[in-house]
Amino acid sequence: MSTTQRILPKGVSAASFDAALAKFREILGTDNVFVENEQLAPYTKIMMAGNDADYIPSAALLPTEADQVQAIVAVCNQYKVPIWTISTGKNLGYGSAAPGETGQVILDMHRMNRILDVDPEVCTALIEPGVTYQQLYDYIKEKGYKLWLDPPAPSAIAGPVGNTLDRGVGYTPYGEHFMFQCGMEVVLANGEMVRTGMGGIEKSSSWQVFKWGYGPYIDGLFTQSNYGIVTKMGLWLMPEPPAYRPFLIQYQDPADIEEIVDVLRPLRISQIIPNAVVIVHTLWDAGTHVTRKKYYSGTDSIPREAIERIKEGEGIGEWNVYAALYGTPEQIEVNWKIVEQAFGASGKAKIMYGDEAEQRGGSFDYRAALMKGDMNLQEFGLYNWRGGGGSMWFAPVSQAKGSETKDQTDLAQQILDKYGFDYVAEYIVGWRDMHHVIDLLYNREDSEETQRAHDCFAELIDEFAKRGYGLYRTNTEFMEQVAGTFGEPLRNVHTTLKNALDPNGILSPGKSGIRQ
Amino acid sequence: MHNTTIEKSTLGQRLAALSLAALSTVLATATLAADRAREPAEVYRQVCAHCHNLDKAVGPQITMPFPEAAWEARGDYIHTTVREGRAAMPSLRNAKISDTELEGLIDALLRGELADTAAGKE
Ligand SMILES: Cc1cc2nc3c(=O)[nH]c(=O)nc-3n(C[C@H](O)[C@H](O)[C@H](O)COP(=O)(O)OP(=O)(O)OC[C@H]3O[C@@H](n4cnc5c(N)ncnc54)[C@H](O)[C@@H]3O)c2cc1C
Repeated sequence: MSTTQRILPKGVSAASFDAALAKFREILGTDNVFVENEQLAPYTKIMMAGNDADYIPSAALLPTEADQVQAIVAVCNQYKVPIWTISTGKNLGYGSAAPGETGQVILDMHRMNRILDVDPEVCTALIEPGVTYQQLYDYIKEKGYKLWLDPPAPSAIAGPVGNTLDRGVGYTPYGEHFMFQCGMEVVLANGEMVRTGMGGIEKSSSWQVFKWGYGPYIDGLFTQSNYGIVTKMGLWLMPEPPAYRPFLIQYQDPADIEEIVDVLRPLRISQIIPNAVVIVHTLWDAGTHVTRKKYYSGTDSIPREAIERIKEGEGIGEWNVYAALYGTPEQIEVNWKIVEQAFGASGKAKIMYGDEAEQRGGSFDYRAALMKGDMNLQEFGLYNWRGGGGSMWFAPVSQAKGSETKDQTDLAQQILDKYGFDYVAEYIVGWRDMHHVIDLLYNREDSEETQRAHDCFAELIDEFAKRGYGLYRTNTEFMEQVAGTFGEPLRNVHTTLKNALDPNGILSPGKSGIRQ
Repeated sequence: MHNTTIEKSTLGQRLAALSLAALSTVLATATLAADRAREPAEVYRQVCAHCHNLDKAVGPQITMPFPEAAWEARGDYIHTTVREGRAAMPSLRNAKISDTELEGLIDALLRGELADTAAGKE
């Protein structure tokens, strides 16, 4: 970077930064320390409604070994250089691979990409942070193991470590990723390395099978946080079931969301339907493979009349439930009858599987792929819905109760409507909870629209919080605001932990609103 | 390495110890990255195909051959799009597609060598 426009970490002089860079080069080799604009460009693309100028790194470091990470951290402490850790760095719509704020050094773990172990008997894996879902998928196929992964929708290009650490979700029965994580190796801010769970015992054989270890369970401290750098992570893999039946249930009336959730809840809690089901609104379902302008050219929120035309034209419901059954063919037959009976009771649902569902076209194929852990990026079609590359996930949690779902849907639609954006949304159903995921899509090339998207997102956070609804995760532009909605006592605990574990505040300052 | 048993020491002492340990891996690191260059078709399958294959149509078709006269301009365009992203297209960094791999990929794309792969014929 030229000296005139040189970007430095906050509070670090050019001389100190140069000294730190020299040490980073000693540790990693010159080729693995990026400082040139061209090298850093990929770390600056964001999709959220923030200023590009607020998310520019001063450098990027690409380690391949955990002891290099330890050495990097030591240098950061010495020169008070803040680093922002990413693994596969595809946190698209949540901040991507950009730093939390301008000047931070990116610690890019993508090249630490060894698959250390996959055990086909206990169905576990131990991997480094740079491993992508595609890489692990190929490895399992190559070995001929009958194991499934649970990718999020960006599957192939994202990775289990980064996704799990941001507490992401997928769509098989192993959809809640942190629940299926087991054992971590973490480099702390003081340079020490710790293994969680059973990993502290030399030669332990149960590191990847028993989550809790002994004493306080600490793995959660390293998720959505800035208390450590995870250098290895264990996870559980689902054995491939003998049979699999993905299915689709469509409902046509907006108010049907109440019935869907109330019928689904007991089936989900009792594990009749074991996977992370999605209840997808028309605009999300269409958005993955249809462009908005085919049905509406206005710049305001898409009107009801156009939504009805989309439903008619594309064969999509107002609400589209994608779920699956897993097990032996006999188990599936029994459970299918229960599902049919439950959803068939009111006469409003159209229930489909096999050829009938496949012939619906649209999203069924890609949903069926994700619910069995295959690689598929069809959901990126959402970015063609409105165009312009702007996207932010607004993702409040709700309990799985129809009345609450209705309330959240109405509130979101009202606020989006006010700002001229579309309700492109789905509910991802956990066991008792749901992530109400709304993709706030906007044209990032239009500054007025970007500002409007920003204001809209801020209002969504506040208005949802007023009714008791909080977000499960957020993008780097809104971390502070969202942290505020969870109250001061929690924030104080987060700060106390930060001060204890990272007194110089060198690890991902600002992540989840946490600073010294 | 299990729970590193670094004794209570000053940060300075620790720093020195850690830097030394790390230095020993520098050489290994450099060779590792170079060894790993994947074939263009493999990069395309792992990263690009999911959106750009003809049956996916999430991103535009990118595998049609270009006339030689347009290679430089088109090559630059692909390079910039991969590294910086463009609207819906995410930026892909060196750690995901190395410079060597990207060069090879661009070359194969311009020559139309991946056209059959994209059409699902291979
Ligand atoms: C179309 C589309 C659909 C999507 N669908 C889903 C979905 O179904 N489910 C879902 O969960 N997400 C989804 N996302 C959001 C996002 O793309 C994924 O969550 C993705 O997996 C995150 O990127 P990553 O895996 O590369 O993680 P990274 O970007 O590498 O990491 C994510 C965050 O985790 C932390 N972190 C990473 N590595 C470390 C480390 N080693 N130590 C400490 N902290 C670390 C950092 O804060 C980092 O920002 C979607 C995005 C798009 C564009």
